[in-house]
Amino acid sequence: MKKSLFVLLFTLVANLWGQDDPRVRQLLEDLALERADDQDALLDELANSGDSFVTSFVDAWRTGEVYQYAPDGSDPIIVIKVSEAYIQLSTWEELELTPSQIEEIEDNKSRPSRRLRRTLSRVTDTVDLASKDVGTRKAAALKLGQSQNQEYLEILRARLEKEENSSAAEALREAIAISLLANYSSPEELKEAIAALGEFRSIGAKSKIETIRDKALEEGDEDLAAIATQSVKYIEDHEAILRHAGSIFRGISTGSILLIVAFGLAITFGLMGIINMAHGEFVAIGGYTCYVMNQFFSEAYGTQSDAYQWFFWCSIPLSFLVAGTLGWLLEISFFRFLYKRPLESLLATWGLSMVMRQMFRLIFGAANVQVGNPEVLSGNVEFWGLAMSEARIFAIGFAGFVALLTWALLTKTNLGLFIRAVMQNRNMASSLGIPVKRVNSLTFAFGCGLAAMAGAVLSQIGNVGPEMGQAYIVQSFMVVVVGGVGNLLGAGLSALGIGVVDQILQPLIGPIMGTIAVLFIIILFLQRKPGGLFPTKSRSMED
Amino acid sequence: MKLFDNKIEFGGFLMAGLVLVFVLPLLNAYVPEGSALHFSEYHIGLWGKYITWAILAMSLNLLWGYTGLLCLCQALFFALGAYAFGMYLMLHAGVDPVYNTALPDFMDFQGYTSLPWYWKPFGSGAFAIVASMVIPGLLALVFGYLAFSSRIKGVYFSILTQALTYALSLFFFMNTATIFGKSFILFGGNNGLNNFGEIFGFGVNEASTKRTVFVGSALLLLVVYLLIAWLIKTKFGMVQQAIRDSENRVRFSGYSTTNYKLLIFVGSAMIAGIAGAFYVPQVGGINANEMVPAKSLDVVVWVALGGRGTKFGPVIGAIVVSVIKSYAQVEFPNSWLIILGAIFMFVVLFMPNGLAGLPKQLAPLWARIRGNASTSATPVS
Repeated sequence: MKKSLFVLLFTLVANLWGQDDPRVRQLLEDLALERADDQDALLDELANSGDSFVTSFVDAWRTGEVYQYAPDGSDPIIVIKVSEAYIQLSTWEELELTPSQIEEIEDNKSRPSRRLRRTLSRVTDTVDLASKDVGTRKAAALKLGQSQNQEYLEILRARLEKEENSSAAEALREAIAISLLANYSSPEELKEAIAALGEFRSIGAKSKIETIRDKALEEGDEDLAAIATQSVKYIEDHEAILRHAGSIFRGISTGSILLIVAFGLAITFGLMGIINMAHGEFVAIGGYTCYVMNQFFSEAYGTQSDAYQWFFWCSIPLSFLVAGTLGWLLEISFFRFLYKRPLESLLATWGLSMVMRQMFRLIFGAANVQVGNPEVLSGNVEFWGLAMSEARIFAIGFAGFVALLTWALLTKTNLGLFIRAVMQNRNMASSLGIPVKRVNSLTFAFGCGLAAMAGAVLSQIGNVGPEMGQAYIVQSFMVVVVGGVGNLLGAGLSALGIGVVDQILQPLIGPIMGTIAVLFIIILFLQRKPGGLFPTKSRSMED
Repeated sequence: MKLFDNKIEFGGFLMAGLVLVFVLPLLNAYVPEGSALHFSEYHIGLWGKYITWAILAMSLNLLWGYTGLLCLCQALFFALGAYAFGMYLMLHAGVDPVYNTALPDFMDFQGYTSLPWYWKPFGSGAFAIVASMVIPGLLALVFGYLAFSSRIKGVYFSILTQALTYALSLFFFMNTATIFGKSFILFGGNNGLNNFGEIFGFGVNEASTKRTVFVGSALLLLVVYLLIAWLIKTKFGMVQQAIRDSENRVRFSGYSTTNYKLLIFVGSAMIAGIAGAFYVPQVGGINANEMVPAKSLDVVVWVALGGRGTKFGPVIGAIVVSVIKSYAQVEFPNSWLIILGAIFMFVVLFMPNGLAGLPKQLAPLWARIRGNASTSATPVS
């Protein structure tokens, strides 16, 4: 039992250190024990290994977590201390030691010499160039290129000849060109590099090329200035495209959140005739569920463990359940008396919203709380130079999932059939034997659950606080009205439309004026189509 | 035409008028401080504030109670009126010691050396008073025209007015706005307008000025009450109430419901605006927090609690809620929002006619109790 636990621990630690190649560990041990005949060859081999373990080891070596140890006069070995355990580097096994041996080890800190440290930094800088991961390779190449260090130019060129992946090769060429801006050997080479960077649409090189252009203009080198101007223009055009694509992407993701919030509203408002001013507070319930789960997981498992990563995936269904249950309870005790009395429901739910907000303040404090990101959602994905946050991509995908779920619920299940029947004619549905009361409770609970899931997703993008729902409620109502009340397709389209228009306007006239402009556009839109995108068709005069 | 429904209402109106216009100001001016009968300066300011809120509630009642339009931008009109008069007060705040200019502080702070053109007319008190009615009125005219001509009504009208409030409150929260590349200074952003000096030549903080503004607000309350009492008895008012009950029938009878609604919307915005103008000097400032959507919802709650569609209900509602709020904020600082929210929920569920409708609602119950006591067979309705 104990042994299996240790094995588990080591796999974990080993993963954390990112090591898997025994050859690399052997080389490092040779290096640390100064056993190598040809240190340069050793360093080259390490650099070409592409193993990020090298970097972690060198860091540990520098900070003094690496020890030299010669058990009972035998050959010395290298020992690393990882979370209170002593591990032999070459075999990656834990040493079983007595306290006196530990003391002996602790006295023998091994540190690289100053000269070695300098050469090692070249290794740690360039080791990522040979990494197995294409993204790491590209990032490392561009970083080295940006440093414009003459030394690395040769390394980059040598790497380029070996590189097989085309996009990594592209990054290497770009890096070489950037490096050449400072290290060119002839004016022709400089011009070629500038032209190439223009072709690459290299945003990182823009300011450097601009400096060269300004200098060339000053010195009257028109040829060079023309090439530089052309390249800068290419890069600027590319930047403009990226900016617009970024706006559209952010707009779609903002719209996706609005869509999830608005779906819940479209159901309660459109189907049941209740204006739920407390809908935003159900969004906040989702955010707080996520926060509580985050706290719980980090206390139970620690933030470094794999289990911690699951907190978010657990909190999405949980937030649906929590808000759904609460919504169900409120429906049978409170909302039930408000059907088809929209104006009164607006008032009563406003009271409910005040109560809920104050509850949040009393329980979680008036300030916003922080929710951690699971690793999968904390990075950026780059696509044609456009960086997209993973949390936002997830929001888009999740909105699609929710839309599908709602559509399936309404059209493919018995409950959906009942819901639509009750919506069309409550009395008729009741006399046909549909359990109207139960259908109402379930529908309402579902709407609240949707809002809470939106809140859980929001916790990965924005703040979680007692007022978080208020920020979305006005816009969500607009989404429902623009889409056509009770029409889910309309709600979806208008949410995405409002999100995109908002994000396109924001960089042009500022975030607040952008929001104002969107609201006025909506008001004008309703002039043309008072019933929204897809108005409800009805023979009733009052509709 | 009789303005009052019965003698009780007439007596109540006279009593309220006497107390507000004569008794309270006299108690404030001539009864020495420390006496039990003294009405303190603090209370003059507090009740003056409540009175302007009561006028605001009456203006909403005109729309919601009598025309059936639930407007969620009434506090916006109120705040616009307050801003218009606040700008006059701001321009007469005197030379400030820090910057040594007569400009409002936030303009000095932003590096302005002269007054922007759209601030200049507000130096005149008469203009500011007129503007405090005309500006909300114009906004209501434009917005109402757009909304009513495309037959937006009911809940949709409420949501749209809420969006309007939201958009304009965001605008007033900004310090400067850049429109078509030109930068405009706005109205003090978060801090709004405050630190006033004088009002028509009298110091804002002097007791006599405060008393005068209080009496002015009380007179305005009485005038607006009479105005509404008169309006709902005219033919215009009859049509207005018919629109509330069945708009389509009114339209089919040949009335232009759009024009009727527009006229009432504009009128009610102007009443709210002038109430706002009386609010600023008594509170000593106005900022964008006074026009957030939640404030307009508060007004709706006052009217609902007092009794919509009754003449004095909104006044009672505004004052009762404000008094409860003032009291609970001090006594239960952590839970007063819960108390207030619970009251809203209770009123909507159990008192559909509000406080004004309570006697009628309780009448059957009362009759039964009395009936049992005298063992006579009183019919229970």
